Amino acid sequence: MSGAGLGTARLRRAAARTASVAARSIAIFVPVFLVATFVTFALRSLSGLSPAHLQLGESATPESLARIEHEWGLDRPFLTQYLDWFGKVLSGDLGTSWYNGADISRLLTEGAVISLSVAGLALLIGVVFGFGFGILAALRRTTWVDRVITGAMTFISVMPSFVVGIALVAVFAVSLDWLPSAGWVPAERGFGLWLAHITLPAIALSFDTVSDVARQLRAGLVAAYRENYVTGALVRGLGPRRIFFRHVLRNGIGPALTVLGLKFPNLLGGAVVTEAVFGMPGFGQFAAASAQRGDVPAVQGVLVVSIVLVVVFNLLVNLILARLTPASARGV
Amino acid sequence: MVRRLLALTSGRIAAVILALIALLALLGPLLSPQDPLAGSADILADPGPHHWLGTDYLGRDVLSRLLAGSRLSVLGALQVTVMALLVGVIPGILSVYLGRAFEWVTLRLADTLIALPFLVFAVAVTALLGNGIPQAMLTVGIMVSPLFFRVSRAATLSVARSQYVEAAIIAGASVGWIVRRHVWTKVLPPIAIALAHTAGVGFVVVSSLTFLGIGVRPPAPTWGGILASDLGFLSYRPWAPLLPTALIMATVWACNLLADAIRDVSGEAGRALLDNRKLRGRLAVAGRGA
Amino acid sequence: MSDAALRLTDVRIHDAVGDRDIVHGVSFELTPGKVVGIVGESGSGKTLTCRAVLGILPRHFSVTGGTIELAGRDTSGLTQREWTGLRGTTVGAVFQDPASYLNPSIRIGAQLAEVVRVKKGLTRREARRRALDLLSSVRLREPDLVYRQYPHELSGGMLQRVLIAAAIAADPQLLIADEATTALDVTVQAEILDLLTELRERTGMALIVVSHDLAVVAQLCDEVLVMRDGIVVEQGPTARVLYDPRHDYTRLLIAEHEQYGLDRFRDAAEPALSKELDHVG
Repeated sequence: MSGAGLGTARLRRAAARTASVAARSIAIFVPVFLVATFVTFALRSLSGLSPAHLQLGESATPESLARIEHEWGLDRPFLTQYLDWFGKVLSGDLGTSWYNGADISRLLTEGAVISLSVAGLALLIGVVFGFGFGILAALRRTTWVDRVITGAMTFISVMPSFVVGIALVAVFAVSLDWLPSAGWVPAERGFGLWLAHITLPAIALSFDTVSDVARQLRAGLVAAYRENYVTGALVRGLGPRRIFFRHVLRNGIGPALTVLGLKFPNLLGGAVVTEAVFGMPGFGQFAAASAQRGDVPAVQGVLVVSIVLVVVFNLLVNLILARLTPASARGV
Repeated sequence: MVRRLLALTSGRIAAVILALIALLALLGPLLSPQDPLAGSADILADPGPHHWLGTDYLGRDVLSRLLAGSRLSVLGALQVTVMALLVGVIPGILSVYLGRAFEWVTLRLADTLIALPFLVFAVAVTALLGNGIPQAMLTVGIMVSPLFFRVSRAATLSVARSQYVEAAIIAGASVGWIVRRHVWTKVLPPIAIALAHTAGVGFVVVSSLTFLGIGVRPPAPTWGGILASDLGFLSYRPWAPLLPTALIMATVWACNLLADAIRDVSGEAGRALLDNRKLRGRLAVAGRGA
Repeated sequence: MSDAALRLTDVRIHDAVGDRDIVHGVSFELTPGKVVGIVGESGSGKTLTCRAVLGILPRHFSVTGGTIELAGRDTSGLTQREWTGLRGTTVGAVFQDPASYLNPSIRIGAQLAEVVRVKKGLTRREARRRALDLLSSVRLREPDLVYRQYPHELSGGMLQRVLIAAAIAADPQLLIADEATTALDVTVQAEILDLLTELRERTGMALIVVSHDLAVVAQLCDEVLVMRDGIVVEQGPTARVLYDPRHDYTRLLIAEHEQYGLDRFRDAAEPALSKELDHVG
């Protein structure tokens, strides 16, 4: 068997595996996507909400109501509306807002940029500190270092992100005046300024990622260290560093990565509240504001985007997991 | 089981905190020293003999508002748990018996539901079903129901495939006896753990929503609402968020503590549930919701 | 004699938690190409003794008396780094339940290649060649295929062969086989024992075979230690111990094994015995 033939065969297998993981992740979400959008559509027609209430308020007459509903195409049969909307969604068009007639895709993109930069930084903080604390606790397991870290992680795990946010504002913005308490500045206006504005919200959002990743990683690593293959590697004369990185970390990282994958919806949900604390015009604020106004197309857009984001993130995590522990991809 | 639970220090602490909160919810309005809605000229006052915890920006008594807000939080938590229980348990049990297709569909659905950001969905639903806490909580209840689905499914599976139930049937035990003796002791602890966790989620979600001002009309007192108004006056009363924060955290913590205590006293039945990695991850996630 | 691969002198192992000695004075010497067997029921201290030789005693356990000399070197003062240097190159080991001693998420070939790259400083390409050689030297039928497989894809017997390959990858002078054949089928067990014999003859390495099964020990070993409750109750040339046991416990072990066809191995040991007797005579 030639080396080249072996190489391509392996590549092909890896590609096939990747494709199957991807297909499975997406296949699970397609029906949910359909159901969720269908239900929100159905609820809208049942609830009788319409842009007329937004625009005319209490003064709506039946005639003006009908006129506006006709303008928005809401007098068409339900299924026609749904299919029409769905077709547009597939091409990236989420319709226009009842509230101000703006293009929802554009509004959501603007908001998502803000939220994703905060969520991205939060994820980064979560991964760095979560892994740092988790690894430290696992390497110093059953010592006081381990107990202090574990205790601290348990404590911060019961702190809702808006509580952390308020505490951070009270300390770092109001009392110490180190960082701005609210607002958002695009990165084009200066990287430092941008970072200063997203740091506190990102820290607030990251707490629960840090604590969960740290605890799962510690548990995973401690369990991996108890495995016989560690003894096996030891008697083969491999050094402690190699054993940690190549054998323990690889097998113990799974739970932490799985949790990291589940974190993403949390970061999205957390964004709704942290953005309120820090007055950032992000995805979450947009969702909350649209909901309070009764702006149905905007809310539907929010749901579509969050499902898509969750799918993409899950996909990434599943691919990494499949790459790291091939056995798990085969359900072994 | 209750007796063994209360023998644990953590179990006692959790029980005391939750009992206090429940008492507040029942009697809160009666205990309030003043009308939680009545403003006064004495705005943003420091704690003193008249207002033990000071007043807010409209001169309303903070202590009275906190007490009055507890009812909404407890109700919200109850709505989430009851909804999740109802929606999750029945398909969970049926998934074992109704054949492959039903099993596959419900499993996939459960996996997906639990992966979605339920706070975003709760917020969205208030736009469609009307601005109210119950609507939001019922949505959250549906979205965390996979927890109960998994738990009841696992318990049903273990009972359906267990040899001791078979043995008991052969030995001529009555169905009622088997359910009481075997099924109940297996199913109850994991369900109780899931209930405690879900209640914790409920408290976080209620405070998050009320913090955003969703689901309540402005003068109504809520824990989250008090926090939100404190946020605007941090430079005058930087300590103000401490108490509502402490209340929220203590409740959530007590729920998690209770869940852990139940797991400790229930032995294997509880541990089996928590060995499901994905679920545990999402549970931990759900614990602080948001 | 300084050419001993391993020399234990009155080794005692202490359990700090229970505050008691678990192993009370084990002594034996192993020269290259020789095989020592340690027999005893579980909890007799045989595995702890092996772990002490490998420097991997569990937490709270320590060697509190006597000396262990590996290739003429006292191991009592070794640092972690020195131990790492010795393992693999001077002493290797295989255990019961071979599947668990291989990393489940790394292919067999990569795990073997890792050892030779680290211990012998080979390049990637050389390591691959060497790993394939090792796989065929432990009589695995399709080394190319096995190289690309994951541990869960192999049978127990194959895994034990892989484990042996990994243990001998860096040419150790001493191999410890701790219950290495216990969980395997009888036929596979015989094959593995044959393989160990063959490797010993070819490479001249010394072997410690730990087993609760007298038959295994009888087939392979030059010398036997019978352990019970951390004490060596009987020690001597295999044939002598099997034919002329002096301790009641050894007699009990032999009696228990009579019904499992130990005679076959006794017959196998016969020529050796007559040789022994010739010497005596």
